Amino acid sequence: MSRRHFIFLFALFLAVELSRANSANDFFAQGVALERAGRFPEAAAAFEKSAQAQPAAGTLVNLGIAEWQRGHAGAAILAWEQARWIDPFDARAENNLKFARAVAQVDEPQLKWFEAASLWLPPDAWVWLAGASLWLAVGALTLPGFFRRRKSGWQQALAAIGLGIFLAAMTANVGVVSRTNLGFVLKKNASLLLTPTREGEVVASLNTGEPARRLRTRGDYFFIRTANGTGWIARDAFGLVNK
Amino acid sequence: MCFAISKSILLVLFATLCVRAQTPPQIPPGLQMQLQVAQPAVDSTSPVTATAEFDPPRVRAGEKTFYRVTVSATESAIQWPEEIPAPAELKFGASARGQVTQFLGNNFRVFTSFIYEARPAAAGHFTVTNFSVDASGSVVEIPAAGLDVVADSSNLPPARMLTLGLSATNVFLGQPFHVRVLLPAGAGNQIEALREIQLNGGGLMIDKTAQRQSIEVANVNGQPAPAFICEMTVTPIAAGAQEFSAQAFTAGREFSGPISIRGQVTISGGPAKYVLLVSAPVKINVRPLPADGEPPGFTGAMGKFFSDPPQLSTNRLRVGEPIHLKIIFHGEGDLTRFVPPAPPRSRDWQVIADNPPATGFTLIPLTDEARATPAIPFSAFDPVAGKYSDLTIPPLPVTVVGEGLPAELPVFDDDAKPAAPLKLGGLAPAPGKTAASLKPLQRQGWFVFLQLLPVFGFMALWRWDCRRRFLEAHPEIVRRRQAQRALRRKKRELQTAFAAGDADAFVRHAADALCIAVAPNYPANPQALVCADVLAQLDGAEPDGCAGETVRRIFAAADARFAVTPQTQADWLALQAEVEAVLLKLEEKL
Repeated sequence: MSRRHFIFLFALFLAVELSRANSANDFFAQGVALERAGRFPEAAAAFEKSAQAQPAAGTLVNLGIAEWQRGHAGAAILAWEQARWIDPFDARAENNLKFARAVAQVDEPQLKWFEAASLWLPPDAWVWLAGASLWLAVGALTLPGFFRRRKSGWQQALAAIGLGIFLAAMTANVGVVSRTNLGFVLKKNASLLLTPTREGEVVASLNTGEPARRLRTRGDYFFIRTANGTGWIARDAFGLVNK
Repeated sequence: MCFAISKSILLVLFATLCVRAQTPPQIPPGLQMQLQVAQPAVDSTSPVTATAEFDPPRVRAGEKTFYRVTVSATESAIQWPEEIPAPAELKFGASARGQVTQFLGNNFRVFTSFIYEARPAAAGHFTVTNFSVDASGSVVEIPAAGLDVVADSSNLPPARMLTLGLSATNVFLGQPFHVRVLLPAGAGNQIEALREIQLNGGGLMIDKTAQRQSIEVANVNGQPAPAFICEMTVTPIAAGAQEFSAQAFTAGREFSGPISIRGQVTISGGPAKYVLLVSAPVKINVRPLPADGEPPGFTGAMGKFFSDPPQLSTNRLRVGEPIHLKIIFHGEGDLTRFVPPAPPRSRDWQVIADNPPATGFTLIPLTDEARATPAIPFSAFDPVAGKYSDLTIPPLPVTVVGEGLPAELPVFDDDAKPAAPLKLGGLAPAPGKTAASLKPLQRQGWFVFLQLLPVFGFMALWRWDCRRRFLEAHPEIVRRRQAQRALRRKKRELQTAFAAGDADAFVRHAADALCIAVAPNYPANPQALVCADVLAQLDGAEPDGCAGETVRRIFAAADARFAVTPQTQADWLALQAEVEAVLLKLEEKL
């Protein structure tokens, strides 16, 4: 590939990204205006489009508010959880989640220790941190040999620290991957079924916004575990955080 | 004519239904039996009797008369023969039969009449002999009946018949039209009522609920005459040519239901005499509806209809909140059989039609994404224009809001700090932190590949280190490579000097090139080598041959620059080909 081709492709990539960002910003501004006008369904649709073009924490916070105002508690909680997925330090999303769960009388998802640890940084940061720390440690151990330098104490300390960070980050990465199966019930009184069929026996009725963990998928149904037990739920009644 | 259903009427209907749904009043003991006993019984014990007659009993030859038999039994109980034992000169035509119930003071009695149209072919006296039929398990004898047929007489009254009047004879399938059954006044303008009126003929549907009775002057056989008229609505349900006739019993002054009387008539007193009469058959042509261009929502409405603009009870509502869509249809057609549009199926709305004859709808939004009421397809067929008219109820814009959730919690006088915030946060002013996707990098294939790139880097470093160690162990390889690179550079300078015609530079570069080419073989620094060192590297007899001579001459010329006195200039450039050949040989040994 010639240099000219590379520059052309890079320029094309930049143009597409800029266009995507502009479109996301336009939808965001449109959604804010509609929400202030009290037109919540239209506002939710605009924020949805903006989030599809460019997922952003603020966009998802506003989407959640619009859904809440429409009476869709489950969709609102899901949007705020997605906002926290992108930015775990987003105070608006955290505040709204606490408020919504208090009103809707639903619990927070029960996280395992490594999942809770993965909340300290954004999911993507953990994987970059793991990669960087690993290769830093490997480089600190091998590069002096390649360049015929004596291995000094600080280099070995750097390798040890790198390996330590790598192991900690890998644990968090496992937590991130495990959290991808978390989701929330989107519909009121959604049925938890014994079998993945429309005529399946109803095991329990789930409250909107209730957290659950996806265990497997078959057709249009998820097999989930909730506080009320395990069972199948229709795809359209359950939203995954990182759909 | 119009149909207008409002909330008040709905409320009245609802209230009526509610009243009906209440517990029925308790009937005192014995009252139910008393009510049953009070009803007159049907006389089934009296012996079955029969009468037979010709009406009129005296006619001209070829004129129509009716042979009528009346039996005091139910129609289903009589085994009536297929053929009547009539003389050959008396031709029997169309027949009809009917049943009527007569109240005899303390009980009912059922009579069945059989009537045949008869035409005598010749003058004379004809008799239908007596014959027996089985009625209610007993044999009943039908008496003989005689008919006098005269050749010519102007004073004979015609046979008494019903007359049929139609509002249309060329109609479309399903198009209602009016049928008037007329009984002209008898002698002395005496009017009689009709009972058990029915139309004989297939492919017709009669609406008996819309019958109107009147006594007025009507056109009977081209002459105005008072007549009893019963008007009813008939709907053809089969296409093609249809033929039908009417039959009814005369009922004296027993008028059933309201009747309007116009003009001067005489209504006879005394008990009614139930005589079965028939009419001459009439024909109508029923055209099928055009199959092409039938718009959606056609429910069979026939006529010229139009509707007022639909009205919604409100245009702002919540999810699950019913609203009423009021629709008023006007028309020139028959609205008694008007079928309102069927409720359409909609993803966003539950649509419930009002109970007929109301034509409104109750609409319930199922989602706040609904922006307008669903269009309700409806059409009617205009038989005058012969085409369909589209009466679809258009969608009306509405604003549906969600059920709404509280955005703020009430504050309680509690010293303990609440765990959850008391209100929903405000809108984010900017999109804030972004991500390429909600799918984490850990689950994206390209990122795993990206993590392998440093592995390739470290492998490259390792390969470089191995090569470096190898070259350190074999320095002659490095020297030869350096000599080859220096020789290529020097040969370019040699070519440049030759092209420029610079003999001194040519000789100098040629000598340097020869030294460079043989230096790795010693190994030695090229600048430390002399002509003998180069000659020593030539193979076999070459040092004494042409190649040796070329080398000597080049070095001699190169050394001449160090002479005190200037040397004779020779044509050194002519040695270019020989120098190239020697350098090629030496380069091969590198």
